[in-house]
Amino acid sequence: MSKDDIALHEMLQQAQREADGVAPTFTEVFNAAENRIRGRRRMQFAGLTAAAIGVLAFGLLPTSGDEFIYVDMEELKATTYWTAPSDFLLPDHQIDIYRELPKLFESTEPDGGTLL
Amino acid sequence: MRDSDVLDKNPHISRSALEAIHDQVFGWALSRCNYDRAAAEDLVQQSYVELLAGKAKFEERSTLKTFVFAVIQNLAKSRYRRMASRMRLVTAMAQDAGDEPAAETTAVENPAVWQAVQRLPQRQRDIIELVFCRDMTVEDASRVMGVTTGTGRVHYDRAKKTLRARLEDGRESNDE
Repeated sequence: MSKDDIALHEMLQQAQREADGVAPTFTEVFNAAENRIRGRRRMQFAGLTAAAIGVLAFGLLPTSGDEFIYVDMEELKATTYWTAPSDFLLPDHQIDIYRELPKLFESTEPDGGTLL
Repeated sequence: MRDSDVLDKNPHISRSALEAIHDQVFGWALSRCNYDRAAAEDLVQQSYVELLAGKAKFEERSTLKTFVFAVIQNLAKSRYRRMASRMRLVTAMAQDAGDEPAAETTAVENPAVWQAVQRLPQRQRDIIELVFCRDMTVEDASRVMGVTTGTGRVHYDRAKKTLRARLEDGRESNDE
């Protein structure tokens, strides 16, 4: 450094020191940083725990559908009714289904006097 | 270096070594945040978080001081870019309104020198601060700034020349 540089150096260092003032203590800032890391880890742990609980709950809860129940046929009879299907797909429009279909039964062989 | 003193995720950094450079790191952060003390403290804290978490890994390719200063510089660039542009806008508006710029209002005994430095272009101001005020070599200062040593040297020489001229002008106008 030249003589001029040294003079400039001293002036600037003095001005910079005054501008910087007093820094917060290292312990204070470093501990706050450590707490921030701990907090972040806690948040990550809480997030993972919540996700794990969610997965478990989803897996353990009964799913809807495909459940077997016992029914009493006698009870159901009173509540069921039947209506004739549409003749839309039949070969002849407005075919008399009651008259035409029995012919099918007649084509089968009788077994002991009853129709199969 | 005590074993318990070493950072878990940064085995080449000790707590005591960080403590030794803490004041200078804070000063550097302060100048990155336009002398906003709360923002500077937050910036230093964030840099320690990066070191503790091992996101910024020190491999002893430079001195610890150069490395931490570079971490501060990078964090300030990314995290405080928006804030800095707002600050510049506020400063520009204040200047338009005839007020003194924020940085120049910092209380120093020799405001002429301080103002001459603050009026330098950003990179020249940075290298002057790092070399003259933070006791770094031009090479280390260039590393912190993310420029080549050659570029750093050019900024350094120009800054010194401008500063000297401004200080001479100031002296002459005071003498008249």
